[in-house]
Amino acid sequence: MSTANLTQRPDVTPAKRPTEPSKTRSTLVWLGLLALVGVSAWLSGARWSELGSLFTEGWRYFLLMGQGLVHNPFSEPYSEYWTLAFDKMMESVYMAWIGTLMGALISIPFGFLAARNVSGRVTVQVSRAFLNLIRAVPELVFAIVIMLPILGFGPLAGTVALGVGAVGTLGKLTAEALEGIDMGPVEAVRASGASKVSVLRWAFWSQVLPEVLAFWLYRFEINIRASAVLGVIGAGGIGSLLSQLFSKREWEQIGITLAVIVIVTVLVDMISGAVRHRIIAGSAKSERRIQEETVAL
Amino acid sequence: MSATATDASALRPRKPGPSGVLIAGLAAVAAFTVWAAIQIEFTLAPLITNFTNGWEIIQEFLTPNWSFIFRVWEAWVETVAIAIVATFVGVLVGLIFATMASRVTNRSNWFYRVVKVALSMVRSLPDIAYVLIFVALVGVGSLAGILALIMFNIGIAAKLTAETIDAVDQGPLEAADASGSGTISRTRWAVLPQIMPNYLSYCLYIFELNIRASVVIGVAGGGGIGSVIDVQFSRFEYANVSAIVVAIFVVVMAIDQLSQYLRRRFV
Amino acid sequence: MIELSNVTVRYPNGVVGLDDVSLSIPDGQFVVVVGLSGAGKSTLIRTINGLVPATSGTLSVDGSEVTGASKKQLRAIRSRIGMIFQSFNLVKRTTVMNNVIMGALHDVPWYRSVLGLWTAQEKELGYTCLERVGIVEKAWTRASQLSGGQQQRVAIARALAQNPTVMLADEPVASLDPPTAQMVMKDLQRINRELGITTVVNLHFLDLARAYGERVIGMRDGKVVFDGTGADADDAAFERIYGRSLTADDVLPGRS
Repeated sequence: MSTANLTQRPDVTPAKRPTEPSKTRSTLVWLGLLALVGVSAWLSGARWSELGSLFTEGWRYFLLMGQGLVHNPFSEPYSEYWTLAFDKMMESVYMAWIGTLMGALISIPFGFLAARNVSGRVTVQVSRAFLNLIRAVPELVFAIVIMLPILGFGPLAGTVALGVGAVGTLGKLTAEALEGIDMGPVEAVRASGASKVSVLRWAFWSQVLPEVLAFWLYRFEINIRASAVLGVIGAGGIGSLLSQLFSKREWEQIGITLAVIVIVTVLVDMISGAVRHRIIAGSAKSERRIQEETVAL
Repeated sequence: MSATATDASALRPRKPGPSGVLIAGLAAVAAFTVWAAIQIEFTLAPLITNFTNGWEIIQEFLTPNWSFIFRVWEAWVETVAIAIVATFVGVLVGLIFATMASRVTNRSNWFYRVVKVALSMVRSLPDIAYVLIFVALVGVGSLAGILALIMFNIGIAAKLTAETIDAVDQGPLEAADASGSGTISRTRWAVLPQIMPNYLSYCLYIFELNIRASVVIGVAGGGGIGSVIDVQFSRFEYANVSAIVVAIFVVVMAIDQLSQYLRRRFV
Repeated sequence: MIELSNVTVRYPNGVVGLDDVSLSIPDGQFVVVVGLSGAGKSTLIRTINGLVPATSGTLSVDGSEVTGASKKQLRAIRSRIGMIFQSFNLVKRTTVMNNVIMGALHDVPWYRSVLGLWTAQEKELGYTCLERVGIVEKAWTRASQLSGGQQQRVAIARALAQNPTVMLADEPVASLDPPTAQMVMKDLQRINRELGITTVVNLHFLDLARAYGERVIGMRDGKVVFDGTGADADDAAFERIYGRSLTADDVLPGRS
């Protein structure tokens, strides 16, 4: 057994060794990227010296938050903190649910209008542009610009803002799902002389229903997080409570509130995930495909 | 062929009624919807009754003060800079967590579970909560915004990348194991090249998200263009706010186009 | 020297992969293992380098115990055993050179591995191994651009980069067309002869086994049912291994 001669050149007629490709380009790309980040770190105007306090102060506040959690949740005032946080969090969940449902229902016709295999070219272009417009504007902006002036402060404004925001992404995803269907059944239904509405209902809609329902549930999960943001400007939900608590620096109560957010969000995600899983199990598309598509949500 | 009608109908299966689970599910959904609507006092009536009140304000929004966009150019630079730094740090740290959050690259069962739970907790807090936390810790300003976005980005990058890692071709991993390479080497050479295209497009996507989030970040005290909106809004300068909103829209669209171009070019 | 004594492998689902197998493979031998799929060929090979743990019995390679080895010891043992797979298992999105050097990663510190900073020595090793399988001109090509036969030769080069004393090959030619299969088998044979690397190859086709195997081991239901030279592997032996007589389907086409 001799492996020592591995380093010897073998006797088979050796071909010419190719030269190693230059690494200059990738080095330059990396240097450029690092320079960009460095310049950005400076331009951002962040007071980097404050980072130190993150570790000194941060630890103290973290312990204070933790203290809120270890107290008996059934003793005063902690039981009140837990109840308040839970009530407000549920308000966020309700806002997200109603908002998503509203947005989902409005998005259905837009989905059909924006699908190339359903509508004409001009209709598709116009409705796509409209959906993109909605998608580009954050919910917070809808809330500030339209909902608060008309609907006033409170959960209603937040709900409608979430609904309008959902139309953009859900409309786009529905349109893409419609474009991805098997056209065979469509031809079959058309060939039987069915009306346009029947074709849309039975050949198009029934093919995309599971997928679209999964999109709705995803959007619901996202809207729960988004509703927290709306609270900060007074549009209801857990966000209002959070910003009040932070301005008063009630660390113990903040700890409890954050814990409630984590618990409720994780629970809703689990339930919604299980339902999605069941719905999609019956459809042709894999869960993974749908996850990739919903990255854009 | 001489079967009578009665025979045939006996053979026809009855239309199956909807399953019990489905009925119960739909009933629960309907009940929850009604309950939720009552709780938040949902009504669309104010859209009509209050419309005139709101319309005065909305009219101000409809006459944007365009020159204001350029007067706050520093805030724009700040917003983009915040997004760049936060994306860079967030996706790098997110990649490391992703390798710990997939059974493919993390062979320790308990460690995998711990990382999974930690990540789902990180993800369950909304971006606004992080901004509030970091504003309290390091004060109002860009640093709080950057740190908040980093946390937010870590959660998303780690989740998306870990799912991609779960789906890689396991062959090269088996080869790496058979040659006795260590955990870091096998992750770097048998997994990373496979996930690179997806990972890069996640990075671009996260950068877009960070630009979109700039409004949120600023409203809560994390610097950038959002703080300008916050200030103008509280002074009731709606014409200024709407100019900024339109400009954000344009910037988001432009970055969307840029990242689509980069994705086609490099991914 | 590979020594198995009374090795049994039982998978978690209850399937018995190896049933009380005892074997001794001396240094430098070229052994071909044949049998139906599910007969335990793959299990045998994967047990030798510890990818599949033995349930009972003892197994040693070059005097190191594989059974009961710690993770670290196992990595050290594996680093001296090259392995070749049916599906090549190359990382397709990187260069051939990176793929070959992957074989030598057990000796590279992690920070150099992460950054891909290979030393001149490591690249030299990569070139030499590629020259040995006659594909050095593709060193900087992406692995995805190679044909199946070329990919398998790169995989052999990767195994060589480990500087192995033992080479294991699990159905190395099963996804290749007949002429390419012959070439890859010849490469393995040449490496075995030139470098004296003990070689264990799983094959589906008996004629290839007879042509290349210095020694042929037949397996059925996890047991060794035949052990002899290629010449001994006659039709009677075939029936014992496959449980039926030889038909035209069992011979690799394109070779008469």
